[in-house]
Amino acid sequence: MTLSKLSLRNAKRQAGDYLIYFVTVVMICAMLYAFNCLVFSEEIHKLSGLLDNMTLTIALASIAVVFIIGWLVSYTTGFMLSRRSRELGTYLLIGLENKQVSRLFFLENLLVGGVALLFGVPLGNLVYQVLRAILLTMFSVPYHFRYDFSLKAIGLTLAYFAAIYLFALIRSRKRIKKMKIYDLIYFERQNETEAVKKSRNRRVMFAVSIMLGIVGTILLMTAGKLLIGVIGAGCLIVFIYGFFTSFSSGVPAYFERKPERKYQGQNLLIFRTLTAKLATMGIVMATVSLLFTATLLTEGSGMVFNGIFQGRLERDAFDLLFVSDQEDHVEQCRKSMEAQQLPLSASWQYKLYQGVDDSVVAYLEETAEYYRYSYDQNDNSTVFMAYSDYAALRDMLELPEAEWEPDRYIIHCMPYLEEPLRQWSQPLSLNGKNLSPGGIYTEQFTQNLWNGNGHQFLLVVPDAVCMARPVLRFVIAAMTDGSITPEQLETLQLSLGERAADGVHLCSYDWDLLYSKAANVSDTAAWSAMMVFPLFYLALTLALTAATLLTVQQLSEAGRYHRQFELLRKLGMDRMEMRQVLFRQLAVYYLMPVIPPVLIAIPFILDMCSGTEPGTLVGANSPSVILAVSLGLFFLVYLVYTVIAYISMKNNVLPE
Amino acid sequence: MLQVRNIEKYYGNKNNVTKALDRVSFEVADGEFIAIMGASGSGKTTLLNCISTIDTVSAGDILLDGESIAELPASELAKFRREKLGFVFQDFNLLDTLTLEENIGLALTLNHSDPKGVQKQVKKVAAQLGIGDLLGKFPYQVSGGQKQRAACARAMVAGQSLLLADEPTGALDSSASKNLLEIMTQMNQNMGATILMVTHDAYSASYAKRVLFLKDGRLFNELLRGERSRSVFYHEILDVLALLGGDISDVI
Repeated sequence: MTLSKLSLRNAKRQAGDYLIYFVTVVMICAMLYAFNCLVFSEEIHKLSGLLDNMTLTIALASIAVVFIIGWLVSYTTGFMLSRRSRELGTYLLIGLENKQVSRLFFLENLLVGGVALLFGVPLGNLVYQVLRAILLTMFSVPYHFRYDFSLKAIGLTLAYFAAIYLFALIRSRKRIKKMKIYDLIYFERQNETEAVKKSRNRRVMFAVSIMLGIVGTILLMTAGKLLIGVIGAGCLIVFIYGFFTSFSSGVPAYFERKPERKYQGQNLLIFRTLTAKLATMGIVMATVSLLFTATLLTEGSGMVFNGIFQGRLERDAFDLLFVSDQEDHVEQCRKSMEAQQLPLSASWQYKLYQGVDDSVVAYLEETAEYYRYSYDQNDNSTVFMAYSDYAALRDMLELPEAEWEPDRYIIHCMPYLEEPLRQWSQPLSLNGKNLSPGGIYTEQFTQNLWNGNGHQFLLVVPDAVCMARPVLRFVIAAMTDGSITPEQLETLQLSLGERAADGVHLCSYDWDLLYSKAANVSDTAAWSAMMVFPLFYLALTLALTAATLLTVQQLSEAGRYHRQFELLRKLGMDRMEMRQVLFRQLAVYYLMPVIPPVLIAIPFILDMCSGTEPGTLVGANSPSVILAVSLGLFFLVYLVYTVIAYISMKNNVLPE
Repeated sequence: MLQVRNIEKYYGNKNNVTKALDRVSFEVADGEFIAIMGASGSGKTTLLNCISTIDTVSAGDILLDGESIAELPASELAKFRREKLGFVFQDFNLLDTLTLEENIGLALTLNHSDPKGVQKQVKKVAAQLGIGDLLGKFPYQVSGGQKQRAACARAMVAGQSLLLADEPTGALDSSASKNLLEIMTQMNQNMGATILMVTHDAYSASYAKRVLFLKDGRLFNELLRGERSRSVFYHEILDVLALLGGDISDVI
């Protein structure tokens, strides 16, 4: 039999054990290819000028992915090598040279990598189609399925794979070259004796790491300063490694003091299996835990960014908005729009007035999570809008008419301010006349901008009141039939002179604000593609890698588990109990490495949410939803691996 | 205590039937130490598997403490095994992730004994079997003989009525074998254990009070030790084996 035939046969035989690893490599290959397609697609780049930056963020993410998956491949090949040490030892025993064995191993892995690439590329195209569909929808461009075949993307994927496998194989080649028959054949025995050394040190380490974990979590949760946060994170990393490498002796120490706990129910079998595992793979478990922490943090960041971007879109009310402190600028804008024949369906020109005092602002700053940039640094007063303007704008936005009583004032605010403002009962005193609070409205009204309709809220008062107040801003708001194109926006902007802000909304006192919903949609989509896509890509890779690592370790122990359950059957354990034991053993095994990440991620994500502009993360993007979705998505992916492992173990391990 | 009545066991299909056990009948009294001998393929292990309910008989009946094993539903068999039977295997079959104490205690946990008493019970039995100071060690840290004593402790700690031993000295050197057999004799004589041991080693069998010989699935002969010394009994066994046509290794 030739060497290549032997390696083909080996690859086939191992397929069962390492199927899940193979599937992961295929999936990651698919993602690499899909994102490469995104980078090289001209269609995508044409969507927005901002997307040129996407190339950089995705390339960075891909490089990180290559490193992560490179580590996975390298670890798994090393792991396979040790699992198959007896077989490899036999090859050496019957006279194969180390060089030949290493070639055999190389061929096998090349085969696995090649096949993964073969499956990964077509699958990657589907992933790319999904990404493309999401992006095109975000840019409001119709999507049609198209089978893209990008030679550049394939080339780059191939290069990535070559790097991943070459690294892994060079390492294993070194190991094989040094191998001795005796070491190979007695490899398993060596591994066993290393497990219980220095147990006293480990006990100390266990206690210290638990304390560090608590300290780290407290520091992270209360961290106001970067340094404290970094120290907290450091504590947690030490905790994760310390915990998993010393757990194996901490638990027996506990059980030694309370033997009755140990012999209760199935504790003995469940925790001993776990401690035995941790004794030999504590570092791996800690690394997996760290990867999960990175997953949750990356995914959480992605969700927060996504929330911010989505939140921005949701607060858009008008298709076009121009705000200036000079009346002639607004007049010019109106003329330019007419001259350009923009497809306006409705427009309204109005003014925003300075309120009488800062009592509402002061109240909000005290009771709500509220801060603002005001039009004028020295002016902190409330913004007024005349009722007639308000009614016209509501009409333009097709909102129902507001309930109006002449001796009351209406509050229009962002949804997050509704609750505190309901508690506000002070009347407005104007020229000896009192206006009491009337209704509160929270529809989208473009109030989040530095220069929009009030600073997150405004008061609607009778027209006569406004006449007596100084004008703060001159505004024109318009609705269009269809979107304004980037070219139209640019022409309009040029006609307004250099005071018109070129972006969506700039914060500067000397600038006019020209705001276009279409431009905001496009920019938000581009930012999502640049930030959210790579973060999710990275998070998914991290999660898949760590889950695969755990599962491969678990499935490779099937033989040992089988012997365990065969013995338990003989000793009289019934099938139901065996299933329970297996289930619990796996549940504990899979839960252990996610507990520290979840404990770390919850305060971290919430902290990140609280750092955003108030009122941004509300409703479907509220911090609790972001947290729930982040954890939910992660556990969904993780559950798939757990269930596969459980079913596979149940079928292969429990006696008939 | 144990009654084996006319049991038969067939393997294979219609065209090719192998008779592993052929109308085997015998009884084991309470507190007896009995050995079953025979060459490879004589049906020893099949017989033991049938008694231990791991395998089923094709015909006949096995009664333990008056209870028929064949009539027990599958769900009851596991309970029966853990309550009534103790096992000692040739390759020890200890879980390598558990210490000796835990391996022995496992039998009690399986029986849902009160967790508070487990350690005490284990210590007591272990002290009797001379492994009291090894309880904290893992199987790979102790010798084969010590492992086998732990297995013996596991086989009787939960008060099982019958100890089934399958070639218990098979993986031991001669001095460890001797030691283990003496322990088993002590378990039988001082601790009241009923032992059924399957072996093809005449020396091991000579420790029993009674030896049954199997050949080609049939009960071929029976030897009672009575008041004779062990060495005399040993030679008698060898004589029967010579008659049986056992292979060389059995005779030497």
